[in-house]
Formats: sequence, C-alpha cells, structure tokens
Amino acid sequence: MSHAAASSHAELDPRKALPFPKAVLPVLRNPQLRKNVAHAIDVIQAKRAKLVAEKTDWQELRTAASALRTHALENLGAYLEQFEERCTAAGGTVHWAADAEEARHIILDILRQENASEVIKIKTMTSAEIQLNPYLEGNGVSTFETDLAEIILQLGELEPSHIVVPALHVNRSQVREIFARRMGRPELSDDPKELTNAARTFLRQKFLSIPTAISGANFLIAETGAVGVVESEGNGRMCLTLPKTMITIAGIEKVLPSFQDLEVTLQLLARSATGERMNPYTSIWTGVKPGDGPQKFHVVLLDNGRSSILGKSKERQTLKCIRCAACMNSCPVYRQTGGHAYGSVYPGPIGAILTPQLMQMKHAQTLPFASSLCGACYEVCPVKINIPQVLLELRSQVVNQERKQVGRVFDPMYLGLRAANLLFAQAWIFHTAQWFGRMGLGMFTGKDGWIHWLPSVGGKWTQTRDLRGLPSQNFHEWWAKQRGSKPSKGAK
Amino acid sequence: MSAATSSRERILSSVRTATKDIAKDATNRAAAYAGLPRNYIRRGQLSAEARLELLTERLREYDAEVVETTQAGLLAAIKAQLTASGRHCFVAPEGLPAAWMAAGFDWKIDRNLATAEIEKVEGVVTAASYGIADSGTIVLHHAADEGRRVVSLLPDWHLLVLNANRVVETLPEYFDRCKQPPELATYISGPSATADIEMTRIKGVHGPRFLAVILVHD
Repeated sequence: MSHAAASSHAELDPRKALPFPKAVLPVLRNPQLRKNVAHAIDVIQAKRAKLVAEKTDWQELRTAASALRTHALENLGAYLEQFEERCTAAGGTVHWAADAEEARHIILDILRQENASEVIKIKTMTSAEIQLNPYLEGNGVSTFETDLAEIILQLGELEPSHIVVPALHVNRSQVREIFARRMGRPELSDDPKELTNAARTFLRQKFLSIPTAISGANFLIAETGAVGVVESEGNGRMCLTLPKTMITIAGIEKVLPSFQDLEVTLQLLARSATGERMNPYTSIWTGVKPGDGPQKFHVVLLDNGRSSILGKSKERQTLKCIRCAACMNSCPVYRQTGGHAYGSVYPGPIGAILTPQLMQMKHAQTLPFASSLCGACYEVCPVKINIPQVLLELRSQVVNQERKQVGRVFDPMYLGLRAANLLFAQAWIFHTAQWFGRMGLGMFTGKDGWIHWLPSVGGKWTQTRDLRGLPSQNFHEWWAKQRGSKPSKGAK
Repeated sequence: MSAATSSRERILSSVRTATKDIAKDATNRAAAYAGLPRNYIRRGQLSAEARLELLTERLREYDAEVVETTQAGLLAAIKAQLTASGRHCFVAPEGLPAAWMAAGFDWKIDRNLATAEIEKVEGVVTAASYGIADSGTIVLHHAADEGRRVVSLLPDWHLLVLNANRVVETLPEYFDRCKQPPELATYISGPSATADIEMTRIKGVHGPRFLAVILVHD
C-alpha cells in the first residue's frame, strides 16, 4: 500500500525520537520513500545550480550575508529592543517567550481573548518546533494549515521531512489518496494540477471566513519594526491580509538591522531554497495599518535555547541560518535518509547542529555524527555557516559527556578506538595489523570484493552499508615492487 | 503582566550575557554596521532599453502578459488588456486615476469594500511602485493608486501599470531608490505557484492566476 511509503509514524520530538542510526533503518528499507526524496532533491539541486551560476557576485553576496548575520547576532540585544520599540510604535504588540511552553500559552491566551475556535496558518517551522498545533487542538482550537505541503501533511497525519518542501517524501498517488479521503473527493485524479486546485477550493472558504491567523517570520527588521514573510503560493498573503488578528511567532535570531539588508538576503534566499531568482511573493508589514489588513497584530519572540547557543563562540554561527535548506539538499546523508530519521522538525546538516543545541545537548546526541563531514553543506550555505566545524565541536562535547559515564570505558566502540590509537602510533605495528586485518577481513569478503556483513561493532557499519574489502597489497608494497626494493618497515 | 515582563528581562539579560564580549555600544555598532562588507553588484550595466527588455523577458518567463506603450497610448492599452482578458467586472484602488477606468466595463472603486464584494469581481487594475529587471519583480508599496493589499490579492486577474522610469536593473538599486522604507510592501515575482507535489510546478494556487503588465514610457 502506497500510504506506508510516507512512513507516517515519524517521531519528531527530539526528547522521544530514536537515535539516528536506529531511526534510519526503516527509511533505508523503504525504496519508494528514498525514490521520492532523491527525485525532489535532484530537481531542486539542478534549478539551484543553474541560478547560482548566473549570479556572478554569488560569493560576495555570501560574504556580505555572513557578516551581516554575524553582526546582527553579536548585537542581538540592542536590535531586539529596537525592533520591539518600533513594532510597538506601529501598533503591534510584542511578547517574549523564554521557552516552547510559554510561547504556546501566550498564543492560546491571545486566541482566547479573540474567542477564536479556528485559526489559519502560514507554514512556520518555529510553530512546528514548539509543537503548537497539537497543543491548540488539545485546547479546542482547530488549526488549518494553508501551505499545500502542510495541508498534505496535516490531512494525511504525516510529519514534515524538509524545511522548505516538507512533503517531498509524499508522491502524487499518496496525495490523491489523502485528499480523496479527507476532502471527500473520491473523483480526484493524481494529476498535480487537479490536486492543487482541490486544495485551492478547500482553503478559499477558510481564508474568507476565519478571522485569526498565525505565521512565522523570515525576518524582523529592527530599523522599522517590520516583519517579512517569503512564500510562493499566496496562502501567506491571504493569511496576512484577510484576518482581523494576526499572530507571528519568530525566533529571536531572525532580526536584521535595516530594511536595506533585504537586498542581500532576498538575493540569496530563493535561489538557495527553491532555485528561483525570487520567490513569487514577499510580504512586508509594519505593525498595524488602519484600513489595510489585520487591525490587531502580535509578535511572539521565542528564545527556547537560542540565547544559550549565542554565548558559545564556535556554535553561535548556527543562528545565522535563514532556513533555505540548501544544506540538506546537498547532503549525501540526507539524500539517502530523508528528514524523519533526524527526529526533529529541523533535519539535515542544519538540524544535526541546531537540534542538539536547542535541546541543551541533553537529547539528539547522535545527530552530530550523522554526517560524513564532506563539507558540501558549508559550500552551499548562503550565510557561510561552517557546519562541519560545529559538528566536530558538538561531537567532542558528546564524547566528553559519554566518557564520564562508567561502563562506557568497556564499550566495544571505545575499546576499538583505543586499540586504533595504539595501531596508528607506530608504522611497524600498523603494517603488522594490516596484515592480520587482511587475513581476518578476507573471511568476510565476498566474491564481488565487498564485505556485506561483519560481527560485533563492525556490524554498525555493515547493517546499512557495504564495505570494500582490503586490497591484496597496500601502497607501500606496491611502491616497493615498482622500485624493486624491499618495503621499508617502520621507516619514517 | 509581571510574568511577561520577567520573561522579557530574562531573555534580554541572557542575550546580553551571551554577547557581553562582542556586543558594541551604539556608536561603535553603527560604525561596525557601516563597515560591513558589501562588495556585491549594486549598479546594473544595461542600457535603459536593455533593462526593459530584461524585465519583459523575465515577466514572460512566468507567463505574464507584457505590453509597452507611451503616456499617450496608455488608455488604449488598458482598454485593450481589459477586453482581451474576457472579463467585465473590475475593482479599482481608491487612488487609481479615473481616466484608467475605461468605459464599457463595470468598476467597483475600493472605498473600504467588504472582502465578499472584492471576492466577486473578476479582475483588478493597479499602479506599481517599481520593477526590478534582474529578478522580474514588481514592487507594490500599496500607495493610493496601488490599493490595499486585499484588492490585488483576491481577483484572479491583475493588470499592473508601471512607469518605465520606475524600472531598475538590480535589487540593490531598488533599495537605493526607496530611502524611506515602506510600511507595507508586496514583491511579486511570478504568479502564485507551488511545486509541493513531486516538484511539478503548478501555477495559480491562491493569488491571482493571471498577471498582465503595461510598461509606460514618458
């Protein structure tokens, strides 16, 4: 049944999610899911590559964006206060939420004051981070996602697997099945145009009748107190324009100093995210404008672990992120696993560094290891976050945590690493070990030259990957043969 | 109230603690900001003619209808577009020049029209603040002749009238031109679209599905 391919029971709460190496197993055995993910990524990557190549000042833009985001973070306190002052002066109400729970309470309180039993929503990762929808539903408020991908997920009771195209793991026949069942439209075909039209019809009445909306923010502008949202479908414009009350939830790191800074970020964001020169719609609004749009506007500024990341010099750059998802699109690990294995609403390389830090390094400790450190994410990042550097830093923190645990000393992995430490210390020991290794691994090497199964700790590799068997001679031996001399044992 | 105040103080105080060695005072912050590297392309290189050609090409890439005319030919061009749209009932922002509302069509002037009224019309005609050729972007600042946000959102067909001298080549040139940041802005770079189902691009999700642009030369 196609429905299963969407892997509907993903757990995206990092406190409850399985460790990455375990969470990844069902995905790797699901060829349909892997095909859906690879297809989507190939399409985005091809479009992105073409549009980045035509931008001759791409590297200068990256440098500017990196410096700008760094500057904003280094002076975050001042810029947040400035944003608050200007937004308030323009008729907005600014709230501060130290953690997810407080943010949920603030939003529910506003909805209760408005007597809102229904709310329309623009796709917001921050709302997913604080698990807002289940909380509101549990308190009698129906939530209606309005981004096409988010409707697919909400109606299908599925979890997002990407931060820009969150339903990329769901294919058209799965969408058809979900819409037919949940919209009562059994006649729908699996033509994407027809499915998109079904969503348009389904949502139009909601846009016109529900007076309260919730959005995220792509940026907050300190200079003016304005908020901006970039989108493609127009559902954002609907939610930002038609309701009477608007609630925006934004991480405190989203501030830019000036309106003009958008000349940098807007040139990078759409190209990096969807491979477009500019996303179809960008909306900017400043507090409340009499006669135009919502007449009540609330911004909830969310900390939820961000200020503690800010205090660490290597990790601080994590907060420069503008959520374009280029890192996951370029990641060889994400390509194979999709998003759910990361056990967080933030998957891929940025999720691998952001999630454990948002969890104060108490959960999701396997994520910093879910990388080959190839550096592709750093190369594509439009704000130059050195993700491999942060991954290494977090790895060392995780290892130092584990070292303190009694019992870890006898863990096969740690014993193995300690043994490796000895082996690599002296060339003659290394060569001898190589000889034994060739003998030993030879027993497991198949006729095709690959190792498909290893016992004990070696199985951690072979349960999801094959390993190339060791060649019959090493480079030293080959070199010695070429030169007709004996290999120099232990030579420096 | 006190709980809210304390969260504000708590967050700001932990932000300040986290940045105590790197945050700058107001004067040095302004200087640091002014010194940020901005070595990307600011000024375009194209002639006025080539700039309009690029904007036209970009707009047509996303299937917008584009025509060029002069001030003298504007009314005829508007009428031709309205006729070609096959639609009859249009909404006009309150500040739209009366002459643009061609005879022979139904016009609703937006003096705080109810949403349900706007939902019933078939199209909208507005002015626009700027055009950005490089990305094919039309900028609305929602001035009186550009209308409230809702009038350019609900109707399925949107005709934009843009002065050729308001067309810039690069995004930074747009920001150079509007030194006073707008309170409201909508940047349109294509019709409403989605690629959420198998990355197949589908046009016309929620915003206007049809876009037409008249470029007016002085």
